[in-house]
Amino acid sequence: MEENLKWLWWAFSVAWVIHLAYVASLGRRQKRLREELEALKAMLEEKRGK
Amino acid sequence: MTMKNGSGWLLPSLAGAMMIGALYLVFLWVPTERSMGIVQRIFYFHMPPFLVAVVAILVGMGAAIRYLMTKDLRFDEVAVACIEVGLVFDTMNLLTGPFWARPVWGIWWTWDARLTSAFVLWLMFVGYLILRQAIDEPHMRAAASAVVTVFQAVGAVIVYMANRLWRTQHPQPVIAGGEGSGLASPMWVALLGSLAAMLVVFACLVQVRRRLERLRRETEGLRREVHAL
Repeated sequence: MEENLKWLWWAFSVAWVIHLAYVASLGRRQKRLREELEALKAMLEEKRGK
Repeated sequence: MTMKNGSGWLLPSLAGAMMIGALYLVFLWVPTERSMGIVQRIFYFHMPPFLVAVVAILVGMGAAIRYLMTKDLRFDEVAVACIEVGLVFDTMNLLTGPFWARPVWGIWWTWDARLTSAFVLWLMFVGYLILRQAIDEPHMRAAASAVVTVFQAVGAVIVYMANRLWRTQHPQPVIAGGEGSGLASPMWVALLGSLAAMLVVFACLVQVRRRLERLRRETEGLRREVHAL
């Protein structure tokens, strides 16, 4: 019973780690895109201003 | 990650509550299976992710076909969101299986029809995302990836049918598997509870990923504009 509990724990942990890693990657990508979008908007303003 | 407004938290809150309910069903409520013991509980978060991945493919394919009919890139946003989140669930399905197989079969993996076709389906998910990275023009990218979703749908049918058509190491189907197959009522409750919670988590992630895709497209357009000036 205790031996098999180990496998259950590992399977369950893997399932959560996959989801948490994906949510973290979504957050990271969103932050990077927002920063790039702001930089591009500023660049565009500057180019149009010239 | 940011939510659009107050109502944007409704789906994540529902997902959280349902996931807590599913964990209660799987770990505390459902009785332990007689022959395999506690390790059988892996089934409740091994099989539902596959079903969610199939839903992802079907919704993604539907959106991709709608794109082909209308050329509206908003449908392509839905398709890519579904397939990417589907990959997360398909990976969960593939990785939790070996933790059940090791104590029950004595091996982590075997190249039988079911497991091999499941692995090929996973490669199709990855292939879809690699293909999108390789094409710059948005409409060409959307059209090419739409074709891949059709192949994925065929792949999902093959995975589903694999242990019905061929003799496999993988257990015979417990749902619609003919005489002798099936689950005890409490097991059905735990399975469906887990599936429902994962479907809400899926919907939640698709919503976020879709917004991300819109942001990416906006950035891409602005980048082109800057380069053109």
